[in-house]
Amino acid sequence: MSRLTTLRELIGHFIGRRKFFFVPLLIVLLVAGGLLLLTGGLSYVAPFVYTLF
Amino acid sequence: MAAVLGVSAHYHDAAAALVVDGRIVAAQQEERLSRVKNDPSLPRMAIDACLALGDIEAAALDRVVFYENPYRKLERVMVGSFAAFPRGAGFFRRALRSQLGDKLWVLDQLAAHLGVKRERVSFVDHHQSHAASALDCAPFDDAVALTIDGVGEQESTAIWAPADGGPRRVASIDYPHSLGLFYAAITAYLGFRVNEGEFKVMGLSAYGTSRFDDEVNQLLRVAADGSFRLRTSAFDEHLRPDRAYGDELVQLLGPARESQRPWDLDSGEDRRFADLAASAQRALEEAVLALGRAAHERTGARHLALAGGVALNCSANARLLAEGPFERVFVQPAAGDAGGALGAALLGARSEGDAIDGRFDPALGVAADPDRAMAVARHLGLNADRVDDPEREAAERLAGGAIVAWVRGRSEWGPRALGQRSLLTRGDDVTLRDVLNRRIKGREAFRPFAPVVRDEHASALFEGAPNDMTPAMTTVCRAMDDSLPGCTHVDGTARVQTVGPEGALDGLLRAMEGHGQRALLNTSLNAAGEPLVAHVTDALDFFVRRKPDVLYVEDVRITR
Repeated sequence: MSRLTTLRELIGHFIGRRKFFFVPLLIVLLVAGGLLLLTGGLSYVAPFVYTLF
Repeated sequence: MAAVLGVSAHYHDAAAALVVDGRIVAAQQEERLSRVKNDPSLPRMAIDACLALGDIEAAALDRVVFYENPYRKLERVMVGSFAAFPRGAGFFRRALRSQLGDKLWVLDQLAAHLGVKRERVSFVDHHQSHAASALDCAPFDDAVALTIDGVGEQESTAIWAPADGGPRRVASIDYPHSLGLFYAAITAYLGFRVNEGEFKVMGLSAYGTSRFDDEVNQLLRVAADGSFRLRTSAFDEHLRPDRAYGDELVQLLGPARESQRPWDLDSGEDRRFADLAASAQRALEEAVLALGRAAHERTGARHLALAGGVALNCSANARLLAEGPFERVFVQPAAGDAGGALGAALLGARSEGDAIDGRFDPALGVAADPDRAMAVARHLGLNADRVDDPEREAAERLAGGAIVAWVRGRSEWGPRALGQRSLLTRGDDVTLRDVLNRRIKGREAFRPFAPVVRDEHASALFEGAPNDMTPAMTTVCRAMDDSLPGCTHVDGTARVQTVGPEGALDGLLRAMEGHGQRALLNTSLNAAGEPLVAHVTDALDFFVRRKPDVLYVEDVRITR
């Protein structure tokens, strides 16, 4: 739950600063992170993560 | 009436500081406890130490304040990475992995470590933390703060005026125009480690002649209004963050120095590097002086308080006081990122409605435990006894040419040993200096040692001493004569520490006067590349490995 506060503050920061062009990148990164979290790091997520990082 | 914990972490020099009811109760750098030099990790040990020193449970903390804005930091890293794309793609991957995998979640990490609600953890701005630490610890009013470092969230330099809710920004300069970046690049170019070797560049510069001013001034240009700009194409922090300089800087200054080669200042090649260090130091000093004048013009303040990593450049600080427009200048001793923890705690205390108690003593770290020192020493087969008058006895040994390890009270806040965790010897003997440098400390011969003297003798031995910076060794003063060759630098200056009646070394210096010595050489209780000692067990470890003649922990004398 604590991390939701950070996510809320992060999104609020970028919206407040009107840096909308970062939103797609952040969404991709956060979805990848969320997938990792939900699947416990399953191997079929790995190729996407390696591509990104 | 609030208890506020301030924290800095994740870049370099992680630290924690505790302010209770507006009074600074404790401040501790993580590296002193973890024994990892410049330890950037979340300062769990330092946090726990501060809470123990304040005799307070984490649950009783009203606020926990991180020293910078993690979201603005992420934004700057992303923007910087895009600007360097596609060349900076590798950096982009590494930086985002580090940011999104770890640094972004620092407020959650703090809440989890302390077991407090996340809502109780907040952040302030990086340079405002520095400014608060400087203004609130300064021994004067009517001041302006100048904060200068590599980079915070976006700023590298800022001028701050005091205000009720915390320092108010008057003007700022954004990264990549940064004196910290400039000096870091020169540090790396000369073969030293960034964030650690900057002191060495300053020491080395005294051996050189500034014959490369024209070249260096192409890298760093100071404007008439006191601002400055870097030739950013010569700095390559996005592609090579460990060295910060690019090929263009090498084309301008010549080949960089290999990092592992021993120094030989009699060789033409190393003379060239010393001359380059002299020109870089000179350029930095001119830029800092211009900033000081701009701060004065904009605010009219009579006094200046400094913080940020560049404020640890004591030669520049000396010129600010001597040639700048201010009557008095003060530097918060932990001016680097560690000091941000203290500023964050002070800002948090203000926001809780507390008035700040301006009394400041840098002995804010963990306390010496003589009983434990005696028990461990005996377990190691060392001689450990209590003595009635350690000052008198240590003075006799020092007068006879001994090198004494000295542990007293709570450990120092900031990079300098101030008599709480010190190595001491006579300052009038260059042989003792060389033994200390090569055998005990194991560091480069060109690095100077510092003298310590009681307030009442300071003006007789050093020009302009004592002043607001000399108690914490954040400036240099010219020696009046050559009576202290062991702790006077090659250019005739010394990073002198002055001690008042309450100082940790006052009694020992008084005892030395009975032996005709008004000053001692004082250096940090550590070897090259190690953090300064904090706990007595680490002092004993140093004593066994590096073999100074005797170790005093309060009134416990330890010999082999």
